[in-house]
This record gives sequence, structure tokens and C-alpha cells, in this order.
Amino acid sequence: MHLFSAALAVWLVIGTAGLAARAQTIDQNRYYIQQMIELAASNDDYGVNATQQVLAQSPKPQPKDAAGARAAFERGRTWLEQDQVENALIALRQASQADPGHVEAINYLGLTYRKLNRLPEAEMALQQALTLEPTRAVAWFQLAQVYGLQNDTRRAVGALANTYRFAENPMRAEEILRNIAENEAADTLRNAALQTLHLYKLPVASPIVPPLPTNPGILPLNTRSGATPAHRPAAL
Amino acid sequence: MKPALIALILAAGSSCFAPVSGASQYELMDYHVQQMIIQAINNDATGLQAFKEQLENRPRPKAGDAAKARPLQQRGLEQLARHALKEALAAFRQAFIADPTDPEIASRLALTYLRLARLKEAERLAVYTLSLAPTHAITWLGLGEIYGQTGDVNRAGGAFANAYRFASDPPQLAERLRQLATAHPAETVRAGARQALQTLKTATAPKPPDGSSAIPKTPPVTAVTPPDRFQAAADPKIADLPATATRQPESSSGNNALPPSIGAAMQESHTGTGQRIYQQSLPRTCLIVTSRNGKTDHLGSGLLASSDGLVITNDHVIEKADNLAVKCGERESTASVRKRSKQPDLALLATSLKSSESFVLNEAYSPDLIGRDVFVIGNPYGLEGTFSTGVISGLREIEGVRYIQISAPISPGNSGGPVILRDGTVIGIAAMVLKKGQNLNFAIASSEVIASKLFDPARMQSRPLASEP
Repeated sequence: MHLFSAALAVWLVIGTAGLAARAQTIDQNRYYIQQMIELAASNDDYGVNATQQVLAQSPKPQPKDAAGARAAFERGRTWLEQDQVENALIALRQASQADPGHVEAINYLGLTYRKLNRLPEAEMALQQALTLEPTRAVAWFQLAQVYGLQNDTRRAVGALANTYRFAENPMRAEEILRNIAENEAADTLRNAALQTLHLYKLPVASPIVPPLPTNPGILPLNTRSGATPAHRPAAL
Repeated sequence: MKPALIALILAAGSSCFAPVSGASQYELMDYHVQQMIIQAINNDATGLQAFKEQLENRPRPKAGDAAKARPLQQRGLEQLARHALKEALAAFRQAFIADPTDPEIASRLALTYLRLARLKEAERLAVYTLSLAPTHAITWLGLGEIYGQTGDVNRAGGAFANAYRFASDPPQLAERLRQLATAHPAETVRAGARQALQTLKTATAPKPPDGSSAIPKTPPVTAVTPPDRFQAAADPKIADLPATATRQPESSSGNNALPPSIGAAMQESHTGTGQRIYQQSLPRTCLIVTSRNGKTDHLGSGLLASSDGLVITNDHVIEKADNLAVKCGERESTASVRKRSKQPDLALLATSLKSSESFVLNEAYSPDLIGRDVFVIGNPYGLEGTFSTGVISGLREIEGVRYIQISAPISPGNSGGPVILRDGTVIGIAAMVLKKGQNLNFAIASSEVIASKLFDPARMQSRPLASEP
């Protein structure tokens, strides 16, 4: 793995020099994000740092309409706070188009897509936010949740590992990871948090009985149930 | 070289030393806290002061949401007062996530981990708390207990000594140390407390001629925290004593005794009976979670049937499972299949949940049962510990298996759970519902369990039907 890291670093340095003259495409940057995820899941510090530096050096897009982007972002954030997710999506898309370098707007866009369960778009937006700011822990955390929802444990581990690595307050991040590892009902995210804590040799008490999800079927009484007829006793 | 001089050199040039450069944030905090402990062990007030200042001068983490954290902290304190440690942990953890810069919250979280015997987490949180508030006496006391419980007497002694040095009420803290030195169940904690008392005796005995204290005075933690918020934490009298010393006796639900007598039970109101049965039965009723390919697959219910942890459930609950996990009351265990049968739909699981809290099966299967009250506990749709009541509506034999028809509501997730009579015995195992109908539910009769290959009379108990007035 160290050999791989060293080779990667050399390749990245050469690659960086070669790429200096031309802007890296979004796809290339996403490739680097995936590399950061894979290297983090393998606990390869050196590789993560090298890739992060390459991303940090990549040219940032210029705003088309900075003032318009700021206004749209504020609208979007307000809509999101009010749980008006569809309206928030429209505003945040406007913001990110007006200023493709507005990392906060793009991060919020990813969050909005996740809330709408539009996971591929959420992943794209969060990756874009991370290409602009590869140490943005909150975006790594949201990306981990997206991978959790996609049942991709390996990438969820990598994204959570980067959440911890870049957290402003690692003790808080550690406690968040423990909380997920012990209480999250979704298996993929819970297992990913557990693996991340093990990766960093942090203590955790993994539950033997996994936590149960809040029953999504608990609905107001006027909701119609989808009962199916049965004439024989059926096993529960 | 004198320890004080060494400490000053270390403190002044700490950035040059290996533990500081290139280390994680936690390692940096830990380095300073460990140095404070070493200085306390050496009874070196100057060195201690130097490292304390180093810690105080570290950059503060970004403040969190105090308004959000406060009610969560309050909830944690309430849960702690009820000795509900897991619930307290959940509340303090949420409070900490909301505001990780409040030393009172961080300290509470650390001490709750300590009471749950999660010493590694407790140590990390205590060290972190001390990086926020290096004079937090209660956290030093907790850290001393943590080190004592891990067998590190020296470090326990140093941390206890610091608890005393920074206490707002040193005599009270000294009394607390004496209690720890004599009454704590762990010998290493007692030894650490004795060591601290010895160190402090040495430190406080020779008073300087001018009457000033040999120990540098630092503001007590209560001076920087509003007393109304933090009084409970700052008062060593009501702070966390060793779990064994403070824990209330377990409730009577822990024993395996059946209700005193049927006559007495009959005198209770119906509500009272229900509450009694619920409280007695909950620790013996199990949640069963199955997994397949690493993912949670099914959940159901079960009942503890022996003192060595055998659990009865339905076979269909554990069908196709790779792994089984069982939670009875608050206790958890992995499980393996000991015996199973398709007809009747039963399975016997072996767990590590050894306990005197097991159910007694009722042998009856006769028309005398019809009309009797029944109580059902289980986990319908994952709603853990759901309790419902009804009556025995009939006796049915379906495909050669004896069933008890009941009116108590059951749903998916109740499968394998107990159907209980007023005397606390189990009359059936919840198994089936007739979907087209109302409260037409079925439990495999306990007599069927007793007659099956699953029943082991050497390990499980059964009894005949008691008469009801």
C-alpha cells in the first residue's frame, strides 16, 4: 500500500505539472474525489494528502453573476430551513449556475438532492463541492450518508474517514461516529461508522442487536392502509 | 535536575518535542493532561501551573449551539437521576454534539461513559474536557477513577491530587478521596486515592512562614460557570460516586418469583395486574433480530425459558438467517439455533443471557381457559416492548397443532413472543393472525411446546393451571 501511495504521489506530481496549463475537467476532479475516498478507506494518509493537494491546486471556476448567486443561495437556504425542498432546489440550482465556485451553494444543493432522495444528483453535487474544497468535512459527511443510502459500505467508510480527518473538532466528529455506529438503524451507514472508528482505532461499543428504525408505517389515522385480504391464518 | 525546572523547560519548548509535532489534536491534549498528572505525582506546583497555562493557551474549538445543548443536558441529568445510564448517555451525547465546547457537558458525557464502564471513551472525553477547562475538579476526579479502574495507580493518584488542588471546596474533596480510598470496589482506585491523600498530606503539611499556600491558587471551576447551571456537577457530594455505591437496588422485577398468590392477584385492579405483569415480563421478553449477508433481515419476539439463557421463538422468525441477535430487557447476546421444528412452528435459541428471570410455561389446554385474561408483550413492527391485553377466545387445532385463539392484538414482529396469564405463566407463543377479521389471533399452546422436542424439563419450568376465583 505504501508503494502504491508513493507511486501515486509521483504520478500526481508529474500529472500536476502536466495539467498546470489546462483546466482539469469536472470528471477528472471527481476521479480524485473517488481516489480520496478509496485511499481514506485504506487508511492511506499519504495518498489522501497528496490527492487533496492536487485538488486544492486545480483552477476554480469564475462566477458569472456573484451577486445573483449570493441572493439565490440565501433564498435556497431559507427555503430549506422551512422544509420547502422543491423551492430550495430551484434557488440553489440558480445559485450554483450563477457561480459554479460557490461551494456552500453546491453543498446545499447536494443536501437538497439527498432530501429529495435523488441520490445520483446528490452525489454529483457533493463531489463538486469537494473538488472546490476537499477539506470540507460537512460535505464528506453528507456524501457518506448518500453512499449509506446507496448501500455502498466501502465508499461510505472512505467518506466518513475523510469527515473525521478534516473535522474542525475531531472529538465531536468521533462522538458523531460513535452515535451512528451504536444507534443508526440503516445497516450500511452503521457498519461504515463502525469500520471508520476501527480504522482510526477509536473506541466504540457496537451493539449486538442492531437498533430498529422508527416505523415508517406510523401514520395519521385518516391514512388508508394497504391491507390485503386473507382467508386463512397467516404467519406473522 | 529539579522536576520544576524540567517541567518549565518542557512547557516552554513543548512545540519542539515529539509528542506535540505532527500529532493529532487529541494527542496534543493528552500530552498536556499527562504532564499535569506527572507534575501532580511529583508534587511540583510550578510545573503543574506551567502545563495548566499551556493547556489554557491552546486554541479554543469553535463554539457550538448552547441553546440547543442546554435542554439536552438537562434531559441527561434527569435520566442520570433515574439511574437510566443509557438514556443519559444518549442525551449527553446529543448535547455534546450540539455544543462540544461546554466543559460541563463534556464532563458529564465522560462520567456517564465511566459509569457504563466504557473506560476508553471515558478517558478520551475526560482528557478533552480538561483541555477545555484544566481546573475542572470533578473531571480530574473521574479521570482518577478511570485510571484506577484500568489498574494505573500512579496516574490515578496524580489525577486525584489534581482534583483536590482545583476543588472549590478542598475539605469536601478530601473527604471524597477518603471515601474512594476506603469504599471503592476496585483496589487500584482505592490505592490511587490513598496515594493522592498521601501526596496532599506532604504538600499541605509544611506551611510557608508567611501563611500563603504552597499550591498556586487557581480560580475554581465554579467561578467561571454559572452556579445555577452547573451546581450539580460541581458539587462532589452529588457527583458520580462509583456505580456500585450509588446504584439503587434493582427493582423486584428482577427475581423469578411468580405473583404472591392468585388470590392476591385477583384483588388487584385490572390495571394494576397489567402493570405488574408488564414489569415482570419485560426483562424476560426478547427482541430477535436476524441478519442475512450482513444486513438486518427480520425481527420478531421470543421469551426467556431457562436460567441458562434458552430462548423460545417461532421457527419462521429465524428462517434463512445467517446471524441471530437477541435482546431481552436491556441485555443483548448473539444466539445460535439449538433446536427447531416446522410443525409446530417453534425454535429454541441458545444465548449467553444467564439469569433467574425466565418464564414458566403453563401446561393447560382445556376449555377452562376460555374467557381468561391474557397479556401479550412483543415487538410488533419493531415497536419494542409493546403490551396488549385481551381474552382467550377459543381453542383451535390447526393442521395437528394446538393453538390458543386470543383477542389481544398482535402484528408482525409479535411472532414468538409470550401470551401470558394473570398468574404470570405463559399460555402460548404468538404465531399467527387471521387477516380478514378483527382480533382473531393465534398462539401455539404452551402445552404443545411442553410436548415438543424443544422442551427440556431439567432446565425449563412448567406448571398446571391455577384456579381463578
